[in-house]
Amino acid sequence: MTADPTALGIPEDAMRRLAEMRPGQATSLFTSDLSVNEFLLVREAGFRPLGLVLGSSVYHVGFQFGRWSSNQELTTLSQAMYHARELAMTRMETEADQLGADGIVGVRLDIEFKEFGSDLAEFIAVGTAVSADEPQTPDGQPWRNNQGQPFTSDLSGQDFWTLIQAGYAPLGMVMGTCVYHVAHQRFWQAMGNIGQNVELPQFTEALYDARELAMSRMQAEAERLAAEGIVGVQLLSMGHRWGGHTTEFFAIGTAVRPLRADHVIAKPQLVLPLTDR
Amino acid sequence: MADWDGRGLPPVAAERMARFARSGLRTSLLTVPGAAGVQTVGLDPVGEVMGCIVEHIGWSGFGGCGYVSGITGPGGIGLGGFSGFGLGGPTVTSSGSRGFVGFGPYVDALFHGYGTALRRMMEEAAAMEADGVVGVQLSVSHLGNNNREFVASGTAVRARSQYRPGRVFTTDLAGQDVAKLLQAGWVPCAVVYGISVAVRHDDWATQRQASWGAGNTEVSGYTELVWHVRADARHSFQQRVRAAGAEGAIVSSMGLHVSEIEPSEGHRDHVAEASVFGTALVRFHRDSTAPTRSLTILPVR
Repeated sequence: MTADPTALGIPEDAMRRLAEMRPGQATSLFTSDLSVNEFLLVREAGFRPLGLVLGSSVYHVGFQFGRWSSNQELTTLSQAMYHARELAMTRMETEADQLGADGIVGVRLDIEFKEFGSDLAEFIAVGTAVSADEPQTPDGQPWRNNQGQPFTSDLSGQDFWTLIQAGYAPLGMVMGTCVYHVAHQRFWQAMGNIGQNVELPQFTEALYDARELAMSRMQAEAERLAAEGIVGVQLLSMGHRWGGHTTEFFAIGTAVRPLRADHVIAKPQLVLPLTDR
Repeated sequence: MADWDGRGLPPVAAERMARFARSGLRTSLLTVPGAAGVQTVGLDPVGEVMGCIVEHIGWSGFGGCGYVSGITGPGGIGLGGFSGFGLGGPTVTSSGSRGFVGFGPYVDALFHGYGTALRRMMEEAAAMEADGVVGVQLSVSHLGNNNREFVASGTAVRARSQYRPGRVFTTDLAGQDVAKLLQAGWVPCAVVYGISVAVRHDDWATQRQASWGAGNTEVSGYTELVWHVRADARHSFQQRVRAAGAEGAIVSSMGLHVSEIEPSEGHRDHVAEASVFGTALVRFHRDSTAPTRSLTILPVR
């Protein structure tokens, strides 16, 4: 941003606008959960924020014991995590749909275990609904995905801008989850390992299995959206409140499709920042 | 010391303003990038400004249909009665037609606290002949005995312009962010917030869904409670953005806190408090698209 501010009428025009404001006058109004950087970049990418959208579900997560000595998925818990997230996401999408949005950017999907109940968690999805300045993508298709829903993306505004610049469009957030019980070592096995540096194949295998399940479920969701790929994938393992041997493996990312054949962005200039961070 | 009637600025603050006018000393709460940022868009830092109020919140409203069982605890919530029982809907929000039941006076007290702190801060800014306050920070501290202190502080700036805004603008955005917005054709106009408190009677279905043996199930009662209270806070936020005459708002924080109350022996209800804080914006460029330009820069570090 190197343009001359006075040529842009700064701050003269800005102050005049403030002086002319008539509180209470009817204006088209938006709210957004984006930071200033994100807000400006989303605008520049050709999208207009419509409003903050939110979906939430307070969920009672059921109970399931893993067998002490076996590696296994705890399907009841996996289902709970899926179902509750689904509820939160769908409600957020419904809000966006009502605003006539083409998509939702900057989505955050959080889980908060509540103090007032032992197995209660609030699943919440928050994002900013946007509508595109151009009703169709450059290749003549709608911005909404093949399910007729607004696209969703958990990318930051900066990443979203870069993605659009590079000729990709987000389709939807895709996720896969697997709650897995990792077996305890048997007594003699544990005794046998004392004082030795060895791999614990049973543990390695369990973590592999669980991640593989989570990732393949995420991939299946992306295939359903006819995506070319998934960007910004995070692979998280969260213990929540289930004790050391039960963990949720959670994969989440944004499924994308190409808008054009070449994916070139402007060559970046290198700068040397004077700040430490 | 003369007694102060609560109007205008407290005597010490008025005295500080007078001293400020005499000495010409400039103070600022901005970071170095923040100060450099606002100066690139023709806003010069004038001085650091502050407004505060200590408020006693001794009356939060009836917690239920006609039962008054106490006053608020330190958390502000300690009221009873069968909340929402037989009131046409199980969740009662503070802004509804039955706000008196649903903690309406408590929410009004919060609005009054934030509003007064901000207004006093703006009065100081006006006394410094500033046009706006950037980097506003709002904080609340509990002083015990249901007393709370609301503090607003920020850095007053004056525009190099022949026009003066009708009202001092305020924003909780940092100096750099204000600069970027102005460059892109948007100007912040006011710090806006929406607050709501809702209470819900734990009915039989809710108790069943939340019990140990319920298995996987959504607890629809609690979902409804958090849904209503957030919707209400967002609605009041939007109303205030609209009332300010703004065209949009950037949300800086959203909070939710749920707590339990025990209105009668062995029975629990839930109270949720939601808040949304942000800055309202107006656009000052006449063309339909704001002139933003971003450079693709890769920091070397």
